[in-house]
Amino acid sequence: MHKKRGYFFILDAMLALLVLVIGVFLITSSYINVPQPAQVGLLSDNLLDFLSNSKIKDINNPYAGIGGELWNKGSITDADNSLLQQIGIFYATNDKGTAAKFIQNVSEGIVPGQFKYEVWIDGSMLYPAEITAEHAQSRNSTKLLLTSKKITFGILNSTTGDIFGPYKAEVFLWER
Amino acid sequence: MGKIKRKGIFFTFISIIIMATFILIFTPQADISLQKDTHAVSARIGSIDSFVSDLESSYFDAVLRATTYKTILSLILYMNSTGSYVPNFDSAFYEVMLTGKINGVPIDSVTGRQIMANSTITDWNDRIVNTAKDTLNVNTTIIVTNISVSQAKAWSIEPRLDVNYTIKSNVAEWSRKSTITSQISIEGLNDPYYLVNTNRAYTNQIKKSSVEVNQWNIAKVREHVRNGTYIHFEDSKASSFLMRFTNTIEPSPCCGIESLANPNRLNPSDQIESYPDYLLWSHKFANNCTQLYNITGLWDEFRYFKLDFYHVALFNITSQDAVRTC
Repeated sequence: MHKKRGYFFILDAMLALLVLVIGVFLITSSYINVPQPAQVGLLSDNLLDFLSNSKIKDINNPYAGIGGELWNKGSITDADNSLLQQIGIFYATNDKGTAAKFIQNVSEGIVPGQFKYEVWIDGSMLYPAEITAEHAQSRNSTKLLLTSKKITFGILNSTTGDIFGPYKAEVFLWER
Repeated sequence: MGKIKRKGIFFTFISIIIMATFILIFTPQADISLQKDTHAVSARIGSIDSFVSDLESSYFDAVLRATTYKTILSLILYMNSTGSYVPNFDSAFYEVMLTGKINGVPIDSVTGRQIMANSTITDWNDRIVNTAKDTLNVNTTIIVTNISVSQAKAWSIEPRLDVNYTIKSNVAEWSRKSTITSQISIEGLNDPYYLVNTNRAYTNQIKKSSVEVNQWNIAKVREHVRNGTYIHFEDSKASSFLMRFTNTIEPSPCCGIESLANPNRLNPSDQIESYPDYLLWSHKFANNCTQLYNITGLWDEFRYFKLDFYHVALFNITSQDAVRTC
């Protein structure tokens, strides 16, 4: 009788442990799933913050930075403009091709590979320049697509003080 | 047996209490929704706050600069079209900046140039109000309380904009009073004084001379007349750029600028006057030839060019190149 009672308590303890382990596993896994929207939201905010807070003079980029391809061509003239303002200038001067290439160059490495994104100015999509079937399919099938918005404006011509904007700048970001 | 049953109930209670504690501690819903709400509100306030800062530090300044430049340009073209001075410069500047009109008439229709259309302070305010509503879902109200322009330096003008603005969102409200000032270079603009006095026959752009005050000589005066450049002397007796809109020819010690009129572009070329612009057309030395000097050192290129004694000394012209007119 004594031996049987001992087995009973050991089995009981093991069952209780199993219940606790399953419970903790379920709770922790539910924690892991919850932050996903926040992560996508943070990424889209971060990308837009990066574009609006970084200036041309702050980046070391052979295409978009000081002394780079666009600088030498005269397409970029004010190193104090933010990247978002520069995108606004390309949009205002109807140079959307350069805008798309500029966005691709400056945002490289900022967004992890498993995410896709679009940059819109004033209701026009500037990046990507063309929508591929894979891009459209990924956008349509995603469970979570988040957007971040900001207003951009600036000086177009420093002599006359001509202004571009104010434009609505939007970043759409989702997981592939 | 009775004792054993009581112990079982005791353990069951303990396990229920432990499970209840676990459930209470690890229930994710309440905690996360609270965090999510706090994060959403703080992110929203952050983005609107950043918009408010941008509005005050960048947008109003950019708009003030752009609109001031266009307003001054329009007023110069207006004087060119009408051939007359602006009687009340401050009120004309305010009206053109705010509405694009002068005396109730669109200034573009007088000048024949589309400069102020869609470019007044009111237009730019409407634009930011609409974009803010569309982008951040906020209601922005901007009230312009005053617009003025003054001069404290010879080569630039200082516009000033006083605004009250309110930004309302579903989470917070911002109300501010702000005064924005800026500086705009006058170089490259046409001198309105030349336009009116020559009935648009003689246009001269404001261009600063690179000659230092103590380096003047006859060769540099020749270049000065040829290029139509301007100079500001310390304690200047000339009028400032803004004073030239209203024909206020009085000394402006801080901001007076002067150029030398080219006799080849005047009709008649030979006038008994001193040829610095503000003296020539205010007739300060009219027919007073005893106080004038023919600058014969320049007559090969600028025949009949004359200066008064004060300017002969300022430009360091020697008796070799200056002969009394009579």
